[in-house]
Amino acid sequence: MIRLRNLTKTYDGRRILRGIDLKVEPGEFLFLTGASGAGKSTLLKLLYAAERPSEGGVWVAGQRVDQMSRKQLAILRRKIGVIFQDFKLLRHKTVLENVRFVLRFHGLGAREAHRRAYQVLKRLGLHHRQSALPEVLSGGEQQRVAIARALAYQPRLILADEPTGNLDADLAGELLSLLCDINYQGATIIVATHDHALLEAMPARTLVLNQGRIEYDGSWPP
Amino acid sequence: MTAHALEEALALLRRRGAVSAVLALSLAVPMSLAGFTISLGLWARPLVALERQTAVVRVLLHPQMDAEQRQDWLAKQARIHPGWHLTEVKQETLEERLKLWFPYLEDLLAGENPVELPTLVEVEAGDPEEVSALAKGPAVIAVGPTSSVDRILGLMARRAGWILSGISVVLLASAFLLAGTWIHLEVYRHADEITIMRLVGATEGAIRSPFLIAALIPGICAGLAASVGAWYLVALVGTLVEAMGLTPPVCPPWLPAAEIAVGMILPAAAAVVTMARHARAGETE
Repeated sequence: MIRLRNLTKTYDGRRILRGIDLKVEPGEFLFLTGASGAGKSTLLKLLYAAERPSEGGVWVAGQRVDQMSRKQLAILRRKIGVIFQDFKLLRHKTVLENVRFVLRFHGLGAREAHRRAYQVLKRLGLHHRQSALPEVLSGGEQQRVAIARALAYQPRLILADEPTGNLDADLAGELLSLLCDINYQGATIIVATHDHALLEAMPARTLVLNQGRIEYDGSWPP
Repeated sequence: MTAHALEEALALLRRRGAVSAVLALSLAVPMSLAGFTISLGLWARPLVALERQTAVVRVLLHPQMDAEQRQDWLAKQARIHPGWHLTEVKQETLEERLKLWFPYLEDLLAGENPVELPTLVEVEAGDPEEVSALAKGPAVIAVGPTSSVDRILGLMARRAGWILSGISVVLLASAFLLAGTWIHLEVYRHADEITIMRLVGATEGAIRSPFLIAALIPGICAGLAASVGAWYLVALVGTLVEAMGLTPPVCPPWLPAAEIAVGMILPAAAAVVTMARHARAGETE
């Protein structure tokens, strides 16, 4: 599903990632962990091509991501559900519209998009806030909208950047359970987190990043 | 996808209704002035045609030239200037024509002693100024007036036409800049949203079309308002012109369609250019 070869990312002469080699099989559940600034978010950004590598290559679903045209990227990104750390919600759109507009890009009609967006929101316990604008939601609610948007079109690959950062323990547990269900249905999931409780709650392959290098690759705890 | 783009465009316009209305009005003003100047230009076109008409210039040949020399001269001029039509004025009307075109010869003609009248040649030419150059040659003693009132009127109308065209171009360019600035501000105001759309898999078409439609709608309104504005201005000037006993100018029947088309094209072109620039700027997103 994912292959990284000698992946290096440099910002202003500072190396964030140093020669990362990684292979993730389809249907795998992978945690990325490490201290702040270890390169977790950068690694995820390179996977959905929000950043281009300074050296090396990124392959997702057999396609080299870092050399794709904008059109090819748009097609690829429709297969990837990204849960952003800063939510990236459209501030002028309501909760329902934020989820629905992505479904419209995937070619769904207005009614079907509305129905499916409502279903996902209901699953995440946000259907009662469907008409609210993001600015009136709490951090946890905004995070759940971002999750709903990423899951709405049932992508084969889900990249989650600190998805439980704004959730309480119960909601974090529910989210993990939801991600497990989706993984069980065959989707590949990569979660970047520094929440050790989350790592302990779910036995999965864990990658520990330290100063841009893979320090550990195996089950948690090391 | 079109329905989605329309939906998004309407949402965009709803949020920015007042700004869109100001844009429509701001576009309508230069466009209606451009429509007005175009109508005036079309009205003045028959006058411009006067300037292009061929003019007849009278040329007085040296009286000592004999018939053979005159024929040679005429043949030579016809050869050098194939566009000219040269006619030697017949003796019967010669005196009358000389008095008309060369009044300073009247004293000579009215003298007691009959004089041999010089040969008068009428030259029909596209550019009468070229004919006046003949005066430099030894065979020609004088060249008559090269301009007529019609020609001067035509020349003035042509110059006025150029000025009006220039003003129209400047007005339309200002409308284009205005639309471009508006779209530019709107796109950069929504830069975060555009980035998010790209990150969740929206194609450039899906991102651009709502902005394009949102620019087209005020453009159509501007086109309609500009047609009404141009019609009003032309009618106003028409009343003044009519009072002077002249045929009043009218808006050409195609003007409303042209105004609406320009109203659509200007903001649409501005939107396409701005969005393409924005897409290039955010290459990695």
